[in-house]
Amino acid sequence: MGLDLLFKIAGVGILVSVFHTALKQAGKEDMAHLCTLAGFTIVLFWVVQLLGRLFSTVQDVFKLF
Amino acid sequence: MWLKMLGGIIIIASGTSIGFLYANRCCERPRQIRQIISCIGSLKSYISYVSLPLAEALINCTNGTCGAVKELFQKTATILKGNGWMTPQEALQQAISETHDLVLEKPEIEVLVVFGANLGSTSRDEQTNYLDMVQEQLAKIECDALKLRDQNSKMYRYLGVCGGLAVVIVLI
Repeated sequence: MGLDLLFKIAGVGILVSVFHTALKQAGKEDMAHLCTLAGFTIVLFWVVQLLGRLFSTVQDVFKLF
Repeated sequence: MWLKMLGGIIIIASGTSIGFLYANRCCERPRQIRQIISCIGSLKSYISYVSLPLAEALINCTNGTCGAVKELFQKTATILKGNGWMTPQEALQQAISETHDLVLEKPEIEVLVVFGANLGSTSRDEQTNYLDMVQEQLAKIECDALKLRDQNSKMYRYLGVCGGLAVVIVLI
């Protein structure tokens, strides 16, 4: 994992902002919002997996079951 | 590593080319509509002044144009010559379905089909009036297509490049 995921999230953020601007300029605001939502969902998918790992690590450390 | 880079480059290149393809289609549409309008203007004079038979008039009216529109009119003429029992409307419809380089959409195709319905079936004056009306309708559609081109061609290019990059980032 390391810094890779952070860079990936940053890349997706930059691309989603470009998508949003291009679609908004073309007068397709609904598609722009949909695109932002899609980007957010992808990033959330990655982050949720990491959060799951964090919680299981916390459980292991404190011997919580 | 090198394989990943190669795959990434291929994905970005294909995304970019898809974007540019759509942008080109957007730019091509008003150009083809303009060519059809000029062909109809020329056809009008071939019908009203020269009184040529329809198939020959359709071939002659494409002088000076090139590409898909020329192919469309010439195919219509060939179909009309080859199948005497066919109406101009049917010939035009068949030619539209056979010409693959046309990037026309539903409104202008509808106008073209109605244009075919009145060709060669009324008097010369009536046909001239009718062709005037078709030209006006096509000019309006061309205006809309120009607006759409200004809005969409840039967007398709951006979306193509960024879509390719997004896929690469997600897959890495």
